[in-house]
Amino acid sequence: MYQPMLYLHWKQIRFGLIPFILAAFGLPLLSVQGIGTPLGMEGQTLEAYRILNSMQDWTMFYPLLAAATGITLALSAWNWDHQQQHVHALSLPLARHEYVMLKMGAGVVLAALPALALWLGGHVAVAAVELPVGLQSYPNLIALRFFIASVVAFAVFFALASGTIKTTIWISSLALAFFVLGGPLSEFLGLYFDFFDRYNLVELLLQGLIESPGPMEIFTGNWTLIDV
Amino acid sequence: MPSTQKWESRSLNNAIELNGVCWRADKSFALKDVSLSVPAGSIYGFLGPNGSGKTTTIRLFMGMMKPDSGEIRVLGQNVPKDMKSILGRVGYVPERPHVYPALTVAEQVRYHSSFYKNWDEGWCKELLGSLRLDPDRKISRMSKGETGKLLLLLALSQRPDLLVLDEPTDGLDPIVRRDVFTALLDYVSEVSATVFISSHLVHELERFCDWVAVMDDGKLVAELPMQQFKNGIKRLRIANAPESADEPPFTILSRDRSNGIGSTETWIVRGWEPPMRHYFEGVGATVRDVMDLDLEEGFVELLRSSRPTHENGG
Repeated sequence: MYQPMLYLHWKQIRFGLIPFILAAFGLPLLSVQGIGTPLGMEGQTLEAYRILNSMQDWTMFYPLLAAATGITLALSAWNWDHQQQHVHALSLPLARHEYVMLKMGAGVVLAALPALALWLGGHVAVAAVELPVGLQSYPNLIALRFFIASVVAFAVFFALASGTIKTTIWISSLALAFFVLGGPLSEFLGLYFDFFDRYNLVELLLQGLIESPGPMEIFTGNWTLIDV
Repeated sequence: MPSTQKWESRSLNNAIELNGVCWRADKSFALKDVSLSVPAGSIYGFLGPNGSGKTTTIRLFMGMMKPDSGEIRVLGQNVPKDMKSILGRVGYVPERPHVYPALTVAEQVRYHSSFYKNWDEGWCKELLGSLRLDPDRKISRMSKGETGKLLLLLALSQRPDLLVLDEPTDGLDPIVRRDVFTALLDYVSEVSATVFISSHLVHELERFCDWVAVMDDGKLVAELPMQQFKNGIKRLRIANAPESADEPPFTILSRDRSNGIGSTETWIVRGWEPPMRHYFEGVGATVRDVMDLDLEEGFVELLRSSRPTHENGG
């Protein structure tokens, strides 16, 4: 059952996934463009500084690409089911959770393709430059990080997109309302409770999400291909 | 025997059994206390105009929706508790095609077959040939007729004990319709499967259904053997018809004074049998003519009589 499901998802998404695969392969190459061979020993510190700066310029594109990959995979996973009002899925002789797991498993495997391209691109990129003393390349680690981030984005949007449009709108509206009204609400509650005087609800949530060990921490960690 | 037990034992002889099923979508539509029994091995025609609740009823016994009240059993098992096991034995052709446009016919067959233990690969290949389906053809480029044939192929190749077809030939040309019904009847003649066909095309079901049920506005209006339905509904021309009919031995679906010539009226009745002529003699009337109605006419009269706004002589 899993193999045909994976094949189906691949056939549905393949043209949409190719740009992400190309982008993932090209991103490390773009990160190292203009970096040449270090000059003498005295110039190496300067060169290392320049490389790190170049890496920093491209850092934000890795998590963005990972998130976009995950979101695209998630939306494509449910697109046709929604159009058919889930009739086919519900007429199959398997429990709903089994169907969801098969679909999710297929998405996770497909998320590995851009990560694989990034890994390959990373190796090609670091092979093209001679690193100054003190700097190291991390093509394996960044590819792994990219894969995990894609899977996290895929999982979140897979869950969100699995419901009806009405449910998705409700959840999105609630999240938006929380971010817009959370600050003023905290200030108001702060008048009556000490806890809210010290902590802002929105900040607390964001910290919980993007700081270790939050589920979104993967997006805000170290995304440099070359580092000390 | 308690009523639940009685219902369960009865349901063993029926492929589908609905008992007092109610379901409400919104203020405008609801299924109202639907009880029906589809005998095992029968070809059961489920008739009704568009929006009468046919697809909703199917989705309820296919476990796609939960009823607000009532009980459902399919192939002797409980819905929705035993759904996984039930769906392994049911071939379903939905109203809207559920095939994937990105796949070819062969890929769709491979995908679908992976979910069914009883999948008959040999017969599937045979059907591909007899239904003239090209395995390499992309589904997105297929016509409505080809898609309809593919859906039937998928349902039949599962070797199901129960086939549920929701408007299977709607919008198909006569040649494709013939192909679909030939494949269907071949299967039924080979395997003693039950077939449940929903349609609003009455004449289509007339030829081969042995049971018929009629839905209208969320209610089951009639459920009876086809022969009884066809023979029992008659158009009578009656001379000197009484003003009001007291306790007739048949059901009056409609009486039309305007169509009569002089004092002759036209009555459409259900449950008619020849000895019932004596009833008219007793009330001073004479039956001038008894005419058969075809299924479509009978269906229309049945619907007219079931609607509350219609005035009939009963």
